[in-house]
Amino acid sequence: MIEIKNVSKSFGTLEVLKNINLTINKGEVVCIIGPSGSGKSTLLRVFNNLERITSGALYIDGKLLDSRLEESEGIPVPPNEAFEIYSQLGMVFQRFNLFPHMRVIENVMLAPHVVDKKKKEESKAVALDLLGKVGLLDKAKAYPVQLSGGQQQRVAIARALARNPKIMLFDEPTSALDPELVGEVLEVIKLLANEGMTMVIVTHEMTFAREVADRVVFIDEGSIIEVGTPKEIFENPRHKRIKTFLNRMKPSG
Amino acid sequence: MSDSMIRIGGILLSSFIPLLKAGIMYTVPLAIISFTLGLMLAFLTALARISSNKLLRSVARFYVWIIRGTPLLVQLFIIFYGLPGIGVTLNAFISAVIGFTLNVGAYNSETIRAAIQSIDKGQWEASKSLGLSRGLTLRYVIIPQALTVAVPPLSNAFIGLVKDTSLAAAITVTELFQVAQQITARTYEPLWLYTEAAIIYLFFCSILTYFQALLENKTKKHLIT
Repeated sequence: MIEIKNVSKSFGTLEVLKNINLTINKGEVVCIIGPSGSGKSTLLRVFNNLERITSGALYIDGKLLDSRLEESEGIPVPPNEAFEIYSQLGMVFQRFNLFPHMRVIENVMLAPHVVDKKKKEESKAVALDLLGKVGLLDKAKAYPVQLSGGQQQRVAIARALARNPKIMLFDEPTSALDPELVGEVLEVIKLLANEGMTMVIVTHEMTFAREVADRVVFIDEGSIIEVGTPKEIFENPRHKRIKTFLNRMKPSG
Repeated sequence: MSDSMIRIGGILLSSFIPLLKAGIMYTVPLAIISFTLGLMLAFLTALARISSNKLLRSVARFYVWIIRGTPLLVQLFIIFYGLPGIGVTLNAFISAVIGFTLNVGAYNSETIRAAIQSIDKGQWEASKSLGLSRGLTLRYVIIPQALTVAVPPLSNAFIGLVKDTSLAAAITVTELFQVAQQITARTYEPLWLYTEAAIIYLFFCSILTYFQALLENKTKKHLIT
């Protein structure tokens, strides 16, 4: 579904992604783990063009969306079409990024209404359905500021699902949450996994990654160090760096 | 009570209605019309300033540069006394509206631009990931929040404008201050007449400040984080 080839990304002289190759298959749940500053979030943001690649090529559904310094890959689709394809990837952010001036229901129904031009009632029905799914039907009329962090993140998930995305991208969805609120968000993500949603999840929750992932990608200093099943990565990693990282991530005390 | 106090009391009383009337007929409409048109202009200018089109950006910057760099009174004189020289004759009120609108547009475009740019980058990213174009994002996500940020400085600008309209007296608009000057010329009581005019300005501005507070409370309710 998504394929990235030889992708690099630099901010000025700082190279955050180095020659990355990765394919995400339909129905797959891929967790990206690695130390802070390793480039995991940047990699995720490359998928939907929140960060533009510096070199390499990016394919979604077999279509070339972007290619830099890779003329052999051919000509990318026109910008309008690319924008539409990128927007078929739903994204959930670390800091939720809900629209604070809109009620919960309005947050979720905005995109179906103004992007897909669905009628208001229809968009509302879609939104209510999704709020039911994330267990927040009773908060439909609240404003984001009135919700807990966990509830806000569940609204953000509902919002990202509202246009029926082909893939869901999660950028450290629980990192900004108080520990006791992490569980409710992970439950919702597991629910989506069970429904067969294709997902790429950047996370620090190792137990969760182990449980939910089909494949785990370990990334460090902008390079993919190892890709494997959770069993391979967590029980028998080939690289010492992964062992060191996993030891540090173990809950202390 | 001395004769002179009775005389002054009489002047103040008899001038109160004409002054208030001048305020309601000219000062307030001049302020409201200029501010409304000026805000639209400010919006367009702010959007031009942040657009990706270099020509638009330059035109907007040039306009703001000219208006901010020259005195309002001089601009009003050019419009009312100067333009007839090239065959453009406008009545005093229209001239004042044009002058104030251009000023409101230039000064507040910076306020609105700053407010738009103060909105968290995450709002743009979330909108983009949902498929909202730049225009849709501005309309539904950024501008409503930017307006909330901009309400206090814009209200201040409006109250400032109400007082600045007194400059229109210099181009013969019979607003509050002009009427005060006329009565002073007849009665030779500048201290009392201008103080009375000042009190009426204070009255208008106090009412506006009250509405400003209401508006601020209403708009910022959901944005406390």
